[in-house]
Amino acid sequence: MTQILLQIKSDSLAVATASSSNGLLSSTWFWIAIVELLIIIILLVRLKKKKTELAFSDLPKDKMKNAKSSSIDMDNLMNSINGSRDLYKELSKACHPDKFVNTEKQKIAEDIFQEISKDKRNFEKLLAHKERAKNELNINF
Amino acid sequence: MWYKIMVVADWFGEMAERYRLVRDFNKAAKNSFIAGIAPTLLEAKITKGDSAYRHAFSKWMSAGFRIKALSGRPLEKSELIEIGRVVLDNEELTRKLISLGWDTLEVHSNEGYNGAKWALKDYANIGGFLN
Repeated sequence: MTQILLQIKSDSLAVATASSSNGLLSSTWFWIAIVELLIIIILLVRLKKKKTELAFSDLPKDKMKNAKSSSIDMDNLMNSINGSRDLYKELSKACHPDKFVNTEKQKIAEDIFQEISKDKRNFEKLLAHKERAKNELNINF
Repeated sequence: MWYKIMVVADWFGEMAERYRLVRDFNKAAKNSFIAGIAPTLLEAKITKGDSAYRHAFSKWMSAGFRIKALSGRPLEKSELIEIGRVVLDNEELTRKLISLGWDTLEVHSNEGYNGAKWALKDYANIGGFLN
């Protein structure tokens, strides 16, 4: 009888040690899985960061978003086709730097004249330069 | 299968964008002519284009963007060039034309035999940024 009891006790001890070693093993795998998950998350974050750090990331975000759905200002294009030539002639005559030689406005006139030459076929920008010339050079058109 | 459906949808989207651009141009030209701002009525059309001006994104048989001027008289070459240069100087428009598959810009009047054409790729500042 005592022999049988001893046998049962030793069996239960063996089961207990087996289950505890099983628990230890499963918890080790659990922690390995956690570490792997953390590594994956870190890599994903780094990948996303890399994507946003392209050469284009300096550009304003709204500009990038609007690029696809950008609509060309056709009214300005039509005004440029029909009116930019005359406006350019008028402005280049009125704002020519030679008219402001040896005055304090010479530098401004040179700057405006350069801008006018650059935007000679853009009606809207020429109008903006005209306003600037009116304000800064006191020209009456 | 899904990839092919997406390709077909992209193709239709691009075609719609091409026609929308032409329609917007014609609408603006018509309005400015009616309002008396423009002395000539302009009309944009899609044509075959010049095969010498092709680029990697050219559309087959519809790569020309033709602007016809209803002037009532043969336009001088300088006038035609002026119209074309305004379009080409608008870098955003030029880039859009290229990306939508156009490679040639043509300008001519409804009378006379003068015409001018340009390769769009030469005016898009490809490889650079817009100001």
